[in-house]
Amino acid sequence: MEASDTYLIRPNHQHKFKPAVVKECIREVVRERLSGLRYDPEEVPELSRSLADCIKDKVKNSGFDRYKLVVQVVIGEQRGQGVKMSSRCLWDADTDSYAEDVFMNDSLFCAVAVFGSYYY
Amino acid sequence: MDDYQTEEESVEAAIGGNAYQHSRVNQWSTSVVEQCLSQLSKLGKPFKYIVTCIIMQKNGAGLQTASTCFWDNSTDGSCAVRWENKSMYCIVSVFGLAI
Repeated sequence: MEASDTYLIRPNHQHKFKPAVVKECIREVVRERLSGLRYDPEEVPELSRSLADCIKDKVKNSGFDRYKLVVQVVIGEQRGQGVKMSSRCLWDADTDSYAEDVFMNDSLFCAVAVFGSYYY
Repeated sequence: MDDYQTEEESVEAAIGGNAYQHSRVNQWSTSVVEQCLSQLSKLGKPFKYIVTCIIMQKNGAGLQTASTCFWDNSTDGSCAVRWENKSMYCIVSVFGLAI
C-alpha cells in the first residue's frame, strides 16, 4: 500500500491569501453600499454589521479555503476630528496576510480590514 | 478569553493622561498595539493574535465598529476594550485564532 503526502501544511502559491484580490472585493462592496449615504446613528450599527457579513461572504467565495477570516468594519461620521486606526499581528508571515481599504464621502468614512490566517 | 485586563493596562500605560495631539497619535497607536501584543505573546498560548486599535479625537462625531469572523467557535475568540479620557476615545480589539 502506498502512502502519499497529500495533507498540505502550507498553501501553494495559487491558494495564498492575495491582498490585491481581497482589496478589490472590499472596494466593490463598500462603494456599492455606501456611495451617497449619509451618516445616520440609528442605521449605522445594522449597516456596519451587514457590510462585514457581505464582505466576508465575498472573500470566502473567492476561493481562500483553509483560511480563517476576520473582517473588521469601522464607520464614523465626518466632523473634522482626527482618527487613527492601526493593527499588529502575531502570526505566520509566510502564509497569513491582510487587506484594507478606506472609503470617504462628505458625511462619513469607512475603514475595512480583512485578516486571513491559514489553518494548518 | 480573559485578556481584558491586559489590554486595559496596555492602553493606560501607553496613552494614560495625554490630550489628543495629531502629531503624536501615530506613535501612541503603535505603542498601544505593540504593548498589547507583547503581553499576549508572553502568555505563551498556541494562538495567532490580531490586535487593532482605533484612536479618535472627541468632537461629537459618532463612530461604529463591527467585525465578523469565519473561524472555529470552540477554539477562537475575540475581545474589545473601550477606553476614553477627556479628549479622545480608544478602542482596542484582540482576535485570537487557535493553531
